[in-house]
Amino acid sequence: MKKRLISTLLILSMTAVMAAGCSKEPASDSNGDKTEDTSSGSNTEGNEGIEGGSITFMAPDWAIPTDDQLKAFTDETGIEVTVNEVGWDDIRDKMVTAAAGGQAVADVVEVDWSWVGEFYAADWLEPLEVSDEVKADMPTLETFTKDGNVLAIPYANDYRLSYYNTKQYEDAGIKDEPQTWDEVYANCKTLKEKGVCDYPFALPLNAEEKTSTYLMWLAYTMNGVVFNDDGTLNKDSVLAALKYEEQLIKDELVDPADKTSSGMDAYKRILSGSANFLTGPTSFVSKSTNEEDCSVIGQITPILVPGKDAKATVTMALPEALGVTKFSENKDAAKKFIEWYTSAEMQEALNETNTAIPTLNSVLKKLIDNGKIQNAGAMMEQAELIASPFPGGVPSYYAEMSNAMYNAINKMALGEMTADEAYAEMEAKVTELAAE
Amino acid sequence: MRKKILPYLLLSPMILIMGVLVFYPIIATFSYSLKKWKLTAPNDIHMVGLRNYAAILKSDSFWYSFQNTLFILAVVVLLTTVLGFLTSIFLNIDVKWSGILLAVAMLPWALPPYVNGILWKFVFSSGYGFMNKAVIGLGLADKPIEWLSSRWSLLFIVSLVVTWRSIPFTALVCLAGRQSIPGGLYEAARIDGGSKRTIFQMITLPLMLPFLAIGITSTSVTAINVFDEIIALSGYSDLGKNILVESYMTTFSFLDFGKGSAVTYLVMLFAGILGIFYLRSLNKEVEY
Repeated sequence: MKKRLISTLLILSMTAVMAAGCSKEPASDSNGDKTEDTSSGSNTEGNEGIEGGSITFMAPDWAIPTDDQLKAFTDETGIEVTVNEVGWDDIRDKMVTAAAGGQAVADVVEVDWSWVGEFYAADWLEPLEVSDEVKADMPTLETFTKDGNVLAIPYANDYRLSYYNTKQYEDAGIKDEPQTWDEVYANCKTLKEKGVCDYPFALPLNAEEKTSTYLMWLAYTMNGVVFNDDGTLNKDSVLAALKYEEQLIKDELVDPADKTSSGMDAYKRILSGSANFLTGPTSFVSKSTNEEDCSVIGQITPILVPGKDAKATVTMALPEALGVTKFSENKDAAKKFIEWYTSAEMQEALNETNTAIPTLNSVLKKLIDNGKIQNAGAMMEQAELIASPFPGGVPSYYAEMSNAMYNAINKMALGEMTADEAYAEMEAKVTELAAE
Repeated sequence: MRKKILPYLLLSPMILIMGVLVFYPIIATFSYSLKKWKLTAPNDIHMVGLRNYAAILKSDSFWYSFQNTLFILAVVVLLTTVLGFLTSIFLNIDVKWSGILLAVAMLPWALPPYVNGILWKFVFSSGYGFMNKAVIGLGLADKPIEWLSSRWSLLFIVSLVVTWRSIPFTALVCLAGRQSIPGGLYEAARIDGGSKRTIFQMITLPLMLPFLAIGITSTSVTAINVFDEIIALSGYSDLGKNILVESYMTTFSFLDFGKGSAVTYLVMLFAGILGIFYLRSLNKEVEY
């Protein structure tokens, strides 16, 4: 009798555990991701905050507002925000898995510029309303606009800017900053020949995303075009950029370690003086003045990206944005949160608390003018040249296209292919994808 | 009647768990693999029969990944079996520090695979790696060697890293097998004049074969399913990708759930066939 009772209790408890596991109530995150609720510590105890609703917000650590900022939002709107801090790499996977099952991974999610094409094609994002005033002041918004629909609003600006080490130029007897890509190449050769810098050009060549995007903006700033209107590669432009990279590798102006180390490690060489020239993220403006990041403070100057015959007239942006998932049940509250988060006041505040570069040019200008962003160099001037190299917006097959591009470039870097062969390989794949 | 129902009732939670977490995904994955199902084309999902399998088996990318998988499998199984077996023999020697040695030998097994990969990336990094510093310091090379930039050297390093992680489990299983052999058998063999070599060949090895089979099967599954170490060492590069990376890329990066499910099924079939082969050929009863 006792045994039967124990057995029955065990079965009941097991069934209860399983039933709890299948329940719809949110449980604590099992992935080790940090989850916090703004209601704790705020004055919206009990049911007071429910009037404004509640939302979940999934973003990487650098996008998480402070507790005070979130509390101010909750106080103002009555909307409670549950923050789910997730590693940037994992957000897309989580979004894909949830959306494939018709679920919202969160009400508000991080949307990287490179995901927007596929998210739009998969119909996972809710279109957002943006005023004409904001549209005019936020050039990176174009990247998140497909067929006239704004799918996400950028909160962190990241556009390509060039940097060079002025002291090394002086040591090598080079007077002026480079205006064209040919001058960059010639100056790098001089730096190497004079023994000032062994590998002056920082160039990501590993098989990863940064390698594809580098080729894109190199071609874009060199020739003003990357893709044809039908989505295929523009041969003249992309091949010229590939041959430029091939020449840099052949002349050993690029560190061999760049072929296998991460793209960020390749960029960071300029911060230690082991590279002289970089075209890279805007975050290097602040990194180049930070003692923890940089050992050559005062030597790095941000300049306009070089072009073919003079400075480039365009630059590519790789911003991050916030969007509302189509499966969200709290769309209005989620939209209100994004509106608040990307407002001019918050962009200014987030620059101070999260070192986010504003996406509103008016805010960026204000921060540069009042000295909050130091060593800005050509940062503001470059921001006004932001444009998208994708004629029809970021394509839905971007991930597959980028994979084909970075693998071909990596093979060229490793000496398995010439620039022509690498181009032929990536062209075949991109043409096939564009035709689909 | 109650006696007949009770066993099924007791088994029902486990049957439910297995059904939901194992059998349902296996069946669902197979049904996905028969569909054209790309998440970026939500309005174009339809049955295509075995066309996904045909496309995969015709693709150069799949066969390239399959070759890489076979290479890793062969090296990992060979090295893990030999080194794991030898480690178990050493661990079986009763010394004062046996317990500590056993704990130390288990450490690589406890390491998360991605951490394991990162750790070894520092060793083989072409810029600042320990291996290059050692090679240059010993005068064996005058400039850094790019260990991770050729296909076969990369695959060999991946195999070494996986071997390093797999040895403890095989050693532990073999140690358990070695310690389960009755001492009387060795005593009888010695009385009959058996040499150390004969005793090893006629007693130790045959009686440990079933345990080796477990070790080899587990190692093979590990070697086929290598993912983290490859990503840590070479990212999502074509150079070192195996069929699991191919499957992940197709499914979660390119969002092609139809083809991705078909690749997953092929991986599962391959691992299953290999497992059955090992167990049938190695798990034989030994009688004395």
